[in-house]
Amino acid sequence: MSSVTRKVPARRRGLAARIWSERWAYAFLLPTLLLFGAYTVWPIISSLYYSMLDWKGLGAERPFVGLDNYREAFGDPLFWKSLGITLTIIAVTVPLRVGLSLLIALVLNNPRLPLARLFRTALFVPAVTTTAIIGVVMGFIFDPAGGPVNQLLLDLGIVDQPVDFLGDPASSLWTVMGVHMWKWFGITLVYWLAALQTIPATVYEAAKTDGAGNWAALRHVTLPLLRPFLIIILLLTAIETMQIFDLVLTMTNGGPFFSTLATEVYIYQQAFANSTPRLGYGAALGVLFGLVTLAFAALQAVGIRYANRARSSR
Amino acid sequence: MSAPRGRRATRRRLGIWAQVIVLAVICVVWIYPLLWIVSASLKDSLGVFSGGLGLIPDSLHFENYARAWRDADFGLYTVNSVLITLGTVALVVLRCALAGYVIARRNFIGKRAVVAVLVATLFAPQGLTIIPVVELSDLMGLLNSRTGIVLALAGTGHVAAVLLYAGYFSRVPRELEEAAIMDGAGFLRTFFRVMLPLAGPVTATVGVMTFLAAWNNFFLPLVFTFSRPDLRTLSVGMLAFRGTNSTDWSGLAAAGTISLVPLLLVFLALQRYFVEGIAGAVKS
Amino acid sequence: MTTFGRRRFLGLSGAALAGALGVAGCTRSSEQEAATAAGGDVLRWWDHFQPLKPLNERIFAEYGKANPGVRVEHEVYNPNEMGQALQLAFKSNQIADVHTIAGLGSSEASLVASGWFAPLAGQDTIRAKLPADTLLEGLHVFDGKLYTFPFFTARQYATLNWFNRELVEKAGGDPDNGPATWDEFRSLAARITKDGGGQAYGWIQGLQFHERLQSHVIELAMSAGAPLAMTPGANEMGLVDPRTGDYAYAGDPFVQTLEFLLSLVRDKVVFPASTSLDARTARARWATGVAGMFFDGSWNIGVVNGQFKQFIGKVGVGPVPSPAGKPVLYGAPAPGQLFVSSQSEHVKAASELLARFTGPEFYKALATYMDQVPLDLEAVSTADVHPTYKRAVELFGQAVRLAPSPIVRNPAVAQVMTEMKEPRPTLGEITQGILSGELTDIRRTLREHAGKLAAERERATQVVSKKGVKVSLDDWKFPNWRPGEDYTAEMYQTS
Repeated sequence: MSSVTRKVPARRRGLAARIWSERWAYAFLLPTLLLFGAYTVWPIISSLYYSMLDWKGLGAERPFVGLDNYREAFGDPLFWKSLGITLTIIAVTVPLRVGLSLLIALVLNNPRLPLARLFRTALFVPAVTTTAIIGVVMGFIFDPAGGPVNQLLLDLGIVDQPVDFLGDPASSLWTVMGVHMWKWFGITLVYWLAALQTIPATVYEAAKTDGAGNWAALRHVTLPLLRPFLIIILLLTAIETMQIFDLVLTMTNGGPFFSTLATEVYIYQQAFANSTPRLGYGAALGVLFGLVTLAFAALQAVGIRYANRARSSR
Repeated sequence: MSAPRGRRATRRRLGIWAQVIVLAVICVVWIYPLLWIVSASLKDSLGVFSGGLGLIPDSLHFENYARAWRDADFGLYTVNSVLITLGTVALVVLRCALAGYVIARRNFIGKRAVVAVLVATLFAPQGLTIIPVVELSDLMGLLNSRTGIVLALAGTGHVAAVLLYAGYFSRVPRELEEAAIMDGAGFLRTFFRVMLPLAGPVTATVGVMTFLAAWNNFFLPLVFTFSRPDLRTLSVGMLAFRGTNSTDWSGLAAAGTISLVPLLLVFLALQRYFVEGIAGAVKS
Repeated sequence: MTTFGRRRFLGLSGAALAGALGVAGCTRSSEQEAATAAGGDVLRWWDHFQPLKPLNERIFAEYGKANPGVRVEHEVYNPNEMGQALQLAFKSNQIADVHTIAGLGSSEASLVASGWFAPLAGQDTIRAKLPADTLLEGLHVFDGKLYTFPFFTARQYATLNWFNRELVEKAGGDPDNGPATWDEFRSLAARITKDGGGQAYGWIQGLQFHERLQSHVIELAMSAGAPLAMTPGANEMGLVDPRTGDYAYAGDPFVQTLEFLLSLVRDKVVFPASTSLDARTARARWATGVAGMFFDGSWNIGVVNGQFKQFIGKVGVGPVPSPAGKPVLYGAPAPGQLFVSSQSEHVKAASELLARFTGPEFYKALATYMDQVPLDLEAVSTADVHPTYKRAVELFGQAVRLAPSPIVRNPAVAQVMTEMKEPRPTLGEITQGILSGELTDIRRTLREHAGKLAAERERATQVVSKKGVKVSLDDWKFPNWRPGEDYTAEMYQTS
């Protein structure tokens, strides 16, 4: 109340008074501070500490080893390989998913299109299907001996030998990326549909009365209006793509011969699935991976700001 | 004059139907793997491997569903999943709306720090946080309880939800709030009577996102129920079908089908709100 | 910039784990609902023997009858999930009274040293029920006290050649024994593939999960003459040539084994999906008749009997194929399966219950599940089991000799192994790489691998001995070991 009615210069008020005057704000923040602090911030801090331990499992001793784990990580070829794979996954699937889903969204956004709701649901369903099941099913779908995909390719004469989609290191990563895109396509599609809904119909009508055709309206009206959403959708999609972990684990377990070893799969293997679990080393890999991600995010942010400034100064 | 227009209309209608056909083909391909799951759930243990494109089983084996429901206790798991998911959704919506509101509207000491921490953790890999989370829950006596699972699920991440709410609330005109205060509403009342209802679209979005995440989450409920299998969720229980030396594929498929149905219903019921909600939320 | 994103409980949200790990019977049953809440004398029992569940529960019921008021709560885990369950439960004082140690990745010795277990009560009665040289200091006995005992035999291996009699016979092979040598295996596989005309292939194996693949490679190499001393449960880091104490992976037997497997791939006799199958899926595919031969342990027939009954009439089994057709393999001393937790308040009752897992009646009952082979091979001959299971056990008896184990000689070796970091790629991963063409120079790759292991072992030994523990590389040498003979308990004393 006091903050509304009294007009005391903020600087002269005591700190305690200022905090008191915003007591409701702190009360509102409390649940998040407690929960987020306990389950997100604290674990991250703990990971930093764990990354400096030689820790082989929950029951075991955990001597402090300083930066040894980090030193080892820098010389670990599999870690670097896994970073490369994660980046490939992001570089390939994010633009493809965002682009293709925009295309479909533009079609689905047409109010005169029959069955649009049905299509939208069909495209979204994979996103709600448990990954464990998807992993198992895809083994059958891409089976080189009589699986539906190979059957179709053979029947159509596209290939004359079945393709070992998941078993051949040359194709396994592409297959995993394809399945990942398939599974999460619906989410990106919904983002785009949402973005398209923010463009009022009157904008199109105005464009029509100006004599613009469909194509011109798309190019000069729709796409420019969608540009601000592009950044957000790219980001959301990129963040989701980092979570390819569970899919890879069920489909290939990082193999064959490391061809699908995304960083988080490798971290998981080191920390939990090794014959001797190495929680400390896993934590160090996690911290490094976090830093790399953060660096990329910062780079992206700088890039966007730079691009915006360049555009506005034009 | 009217002839060309008619031709154009026909062409447009043809164009639309062409789009429908293409889309229909895409959608059939899209849900083929899911149809495959349903089909496999009706086959016997070796029929699953029959291969080929066909989806119609030779004979129907509904006992897979009976097995999934009874032997693997899917009834119990469904109850757990529903309780845990709803609890998580409610908690996330509440805490994120509260936080988003004050971040958007109040100028309190420490706000910058809070926002900075939130944004920074967006990019922190959380792959290893399970261990500290378990240690902490153990310390607080929350292992092996649904409450513990809900708190952990609701506490981890959800930064996006906070920021969505903050973005939305920051665009609500101040007059609305001030009018409520003039009417004598306190801080709490203003929020719950005026602001939260206004944020319906964001709540729908956050609700669906959290629902999906909580419903599908596997590792946390697994770890939290190691010594209480009766508290397990569907996604964990699904794994009862994968043994050391054998897997019950048709039972797994049946279980997958069972666990998919509630989600589909939720999405069908909410999809309009979901799309509009994201639209409303993303506008900022 | 407004950045927001939905971050699920990332890394480990893996519904995934499931797939990779495969989680066994996360059982249910009304008893467990009462679980921790129930008072009275409840013995909690966790193991990972899914196929033996009915047997165990029968024994629990009998025990409950003999001891009214005591109830056993039984939970079956998947071995891979189990390690984490045990660690969490031990840390939070919730561990079961009796449990197995699957997935913990630690040796018995180091677990005993960190206070996980209580010595069994009524030691002498249990000792009396077991063959004299079954129990070894460093594996079952620590400081003279008995902590556990085996109920599965050391004399078994996981690379029996299981085959489809119909396909083998049609291709002109011996439907009773299958091929004996690698050459016979190769040509028979080629004929089956040719006869199959795209519908059937010579050999199927789950090549995706390299851990199992690694055991097949090791056992095939033994059949080619690789002498191995082993530490139970310690994977490739614990396997050395007992004469020299060195890692044997660079030797001819391993090179030949990989060349043999590669020749099968080059001949195109491998079922095409093998590279993306795990052992479970491979077995199921094999049971649909799409491939002639399949390497697996004795439990294969148990699973076929339980899941693919319609196929059981076509199942045949033969020894692991070997270059000369007369394989000799070495088996690590049988470790104990179950332990009584140090956190248990019912050590006496738990030990009494455990004691029921010995004796001829038990072994015979165990055999009927056609899973792992009971400690006493003789029990199988009178049990009511499928002929291929009897045959498998007979083959084990003929071929498997007891290997010496460094950890029995000096329990401190366990600490070295715990200190060691497993070099990647592992032998199993290397095999995958060679079979998929990613690695080409077999001999060089294996030599480098053995070198990495040796260097790591040396480093670990130094670290451990610096702590004042008496341990050296000589602990891995067994000069009195004779090829083709059992390494008996007494031989540890004289070496």
